[in-house]
Amino acid sequence: MLLLQLLVNGLVTGCALGMVAISFSLVFATTKIFHVAHAGVYTMAGYLTWSLITHGVPDALAMILSVAVCAIVGALIQNQLYDRLERRRATPLVVLIASLGLLAVMQNIIAAVYTPNILQFPSPWSSRMVSVGSIRLNYTQMLTVVIGLLAYVATVQFTTRSILGKRIRAVASNPFLAEITQLAPRSVYVYVIAIASALVALPGVLVPLDLGLQPYGGITPLLTATVAMIAGGVGSISGAFVVAVGIAVLQNLSLLVMPGEWSIGVTFFIFVIFMLFRPTGLFVAR
Amino acid sequence: MDFLYSYLVLAEIYVLLGLSTNLLVGIVGIFSVSQAAVFGVGAYIVAAFVMGDTLGFLPALAIAAACCVALNILATLPSLRVSGDYFVVTSFGIQLLATAVYTNWTAGTGGANGLPGIPPAKIFGHEIVETSEFLVVATIASLLGCLCFWLVLRSPYGRLLKAIREDEIAVAAAGKNVLHAKVSAAALAGAFAGSAGGLYATFLSFIDPTPFDLDASILLLTMVVVGGARTLAGSIIGPFLLLALPQILTLVDIPTTIAASMRQLIYGVLMITFMLFRPQGLAGEKL
Amino acid sequence: MTRAIRWLLGAALAVAMTGTVSAQTIRFGAILPLTGPGGLIGTQQMRGIQFALQQINAKGGVRGHQIEVVFEDNQAKPDQSILSFNKLVDLQHMPMIFSAYSGPTLAMAPLATRKKVLMVNAGAQADALANASPYLINTLPTIGDEIAVLSKWLVRNGKKRAAILFENSAAGISGRDNYVKSFIAAGGTILAQEPSQFGQTDFRPALLKLADSKPDVMLVSITAAPQQMAQQYKQLDLKFAVAGTTFLQDPLLIADPAAEGFLHTQLQSQAPAELAAEFKQKFNVEMEFFVRQYYNAMNIVATALDKVLAEKKEITGENLRQAILTIRRFSGLIPVEFKTNTATVPFDLNVMRGGKDILLEELKIQ
Repeated sequence: MLLLQLLVNGLVTGCALGMVAISFSLVFATTKIFHVAHAGVYTMAGYLTWSLITHGVPDALAMILSVAVCAIVGALIQNQLYDRLERRRATPLVVLIASLGLLAVMQNIIAAVYTPNILQFPSPWSSRMVSVGSIRLNYTQMLTVVIGLLAYVATVQFTTRSILGKRIRAVASNPFLAEITQLAPRSVYVYVIAIASALVALPGVLVPLDLGLQPYGGITPLLTATVAMIAGGVGSISGAFVVAVGIAVLQNLSLLVMPGEWSIGVTFFIFVIFMLFRPTGLFVAR
Repeated sequence: MDFLYSYLVLAEIYVLLGLSTNLLVGIVGIFSVSQAAVFGVGAYIVAAFVMGDTLGFLPALAIAAACCVALNILATLPSLRVSGDYFVVTSFGIQLLATAVYTNWTAGTGGANGLPGIPPAKIFGHEIVETSEFLVVATIASLLGCLCFWLVLRSPYGRLLKAIREDEIAVAAAGKNVLHAKVSAAALAGAFAGSAGGLYATFLSFIDPTPFDLDASILLLTMVVVGGARTLAGSIIGPFLLLALPQILTLVDIPTTIAASMRQLIYGVLMITFMLFRPQGLAGEKL
Repeated sequence: MTRAIRWLLGAALAVAMTGTVSAQTIRFGAILPLTGPGGLIGTQQMRGIQFALQQINAKGGVRGHQIEVVFEDNQAKPDQSILSFNKLVDLQHMPMIFSAYSGPTLAMAPLATRKKVLMVNAGAQADALANASPYLINTLPTIGDEIAVLSKWLVRNGKKRAAILFENSAAGISGRDNYVKSFIAAGGTILAQEPSQFGQTDFRPALLKLADSKPDVMLVSITAAPQQMAQQYKQLDLKFAVAGTTFLQDPLLIADPAAEGFLHTQLQSQAPAELAAEFKQKFNVEMEFFVRQYYNAMNIVATALDKVLAEKKEITGENLRQAILTIRRFSGLIPVEFKTNTATVPFDLNVMRGGKDILLEELKIQ
């Protein structure tokens, strides 16, 4: 039935969005950088995997390689760009514009090399259907939910249990103190962006596997994910993920009551109201 | 000559927008990425009046400016409750909401189709049809804007704004109404943006949601940063330079299949280089 | 000594030859979206023009004149289009400019009228284009004709209850408006409509909502990502018929088994096998719809130019425009007739079967 199918679709999109949200949240909460070039890494992951697969690399291996490459690219971005800017005491606006410039560079290199056409993954297994009662899903959608939930749990475990994770949280909560106590925030930043880039490579491959690759399609999910991050409370991984799923479900379900063109508008309208009355978010940051 | 004139007209319209953004972001410190949305409001309002033949160009422009003043006050109020980082995202939200309205409210804005056939501006009975005539109007408007901006900067009010940016708490402690000062600066920025919108609509005689989207807001920010924040010169240099850049880049010879993306790429590289090596812009103070 | 004389004679001959053979290159402009979401269509359009140019110039050009087309990227933005238009007309004195996409074309139309520059559109089909400017020539009909005929056929064949999937762009909305008008006029009912954003590829929510209204047929008015739409339609196991216009003619869609049974009106525009093969060899991609459209348009312009040169008239926008309207019938890759400045092109009803686009019925335009 319509309601249920829309709900399930929303959960699938939500898991993908959630991965973007928690990865972006890791970067923003720790480095305070509005890393829009994250959308470029997201896009790059998909195209890289596509290239590997079309050259005969097995699907799973291609995905793993892409994740690794994205981590390296993320680290490079931090090391070569953001770190330099910080050393010159650049203000957030300057960093934002540099990040936007980088996004433009990444998207256009991809467009020049791969053409702006929508590309499909040559992976027939991805569109095989599964029926659960009256709900129909394809393998990619199911994989998105599974990987999304795993990524969420893994990230929460990592930030609360592991040593690096704790170090990251310490730097996030007080960079100045972290500097003094020799937690080396600058190298922590590199780890954080590397991990976040690896994380965002996952939806970067899963979403185009289902819907096709496009060079300029990364900014919209990034912005929606940002809304989720803020509404969920900056610094809260759970907040970001839960609100991301919530937004996706809401956008799908809202179709039941209003014309489709307004679903994105409504999301942002609710968000703006939110910012007026509860700017710290639903889940207060730890 | 029309090519040069149309470039100048567009540059001058964007100077008004540059003044508006510089006022809001550079001087008051409200990190807004929704200035293009306000620009759009001004454009659609003037278009609506002029197309329906209900009001002349100048009165329509005045109403548009007034609406944008009100809008800017409303839109910047959240920033006063919420710190800088958060406001960016609220501002993103306002911009995206505005684009959604422009694209979907077909009755009011023509939706994705836009509003074609906006009649030329009629000023004191004279129809402004030729680009050279419009250049006169645009030049007068931008000069007025620049004069206004310059006067504000040199006035006691301007010094108050500068003081607020440097140490808000001290100013408040000294008994000055910080809220009032910030809100009125935002209001003025709105007036500039709204007027620019009205001029744009009648110059192009066609508007659709594209010039008022997020990319446009980001372009405005880039103009201010590259031109130079907080200065009059910066608000002028930025728009002129950034509008000329795509045209200059077409002179670079690149195979046509990848030419366009290559140019966008060069644009991106320029932005990064600028931020790395000259973040105060060409003629500005350090942000 | 003899060598020197021979060298001098050779050089003199060369100079003399260049003197006689060279005739001025004629330059036209094209303002197309080459980057951004419109980039993939704009690039196809550019290739169509380039392919035609290569052939024309290889044969010696038009009456000895080589033709050159200067391409400008407008990113489908109206203000970039205006700047590009003025640049091409003022700085390069071009009498004719190719355009694409309804929004930018409509924005440039008043300028074309004012400056008497011929604008040729071979891709956009919004209804407003028919009357936008006397200097705008549309080499393809506006979407209204195809949809009127399609609607009548569907109702006549028992598909009376329809739901509409449309793209939220100038072209998509024009299609939607026409569907509503024509389908109801033909005796059918519209049960639901859902938009999709231009450039997005997730059609599932819209498809689900339309399916919920239980239509006989879904009327489609999208220009991007039809293959993704078809795949999701199939995955959701939807059973209603799917019908559209020439926009659905996308080789990736046709080849995809998910599109089995899709109906669409098709402007007669097939490319003969050798031409398509030659194109594929030069550009490495299929000769798709927009390539053919702009290939055809370039040839129409070349024919008009030939007439203007033959009559020893000046190459102006006005004269080129007159030439097109006087010649009226063009039999190139796509036969068109200009009764007004918008072409009438015969079209058929096709169905997609077994990975091919097959003629179902020839339609007569009422």
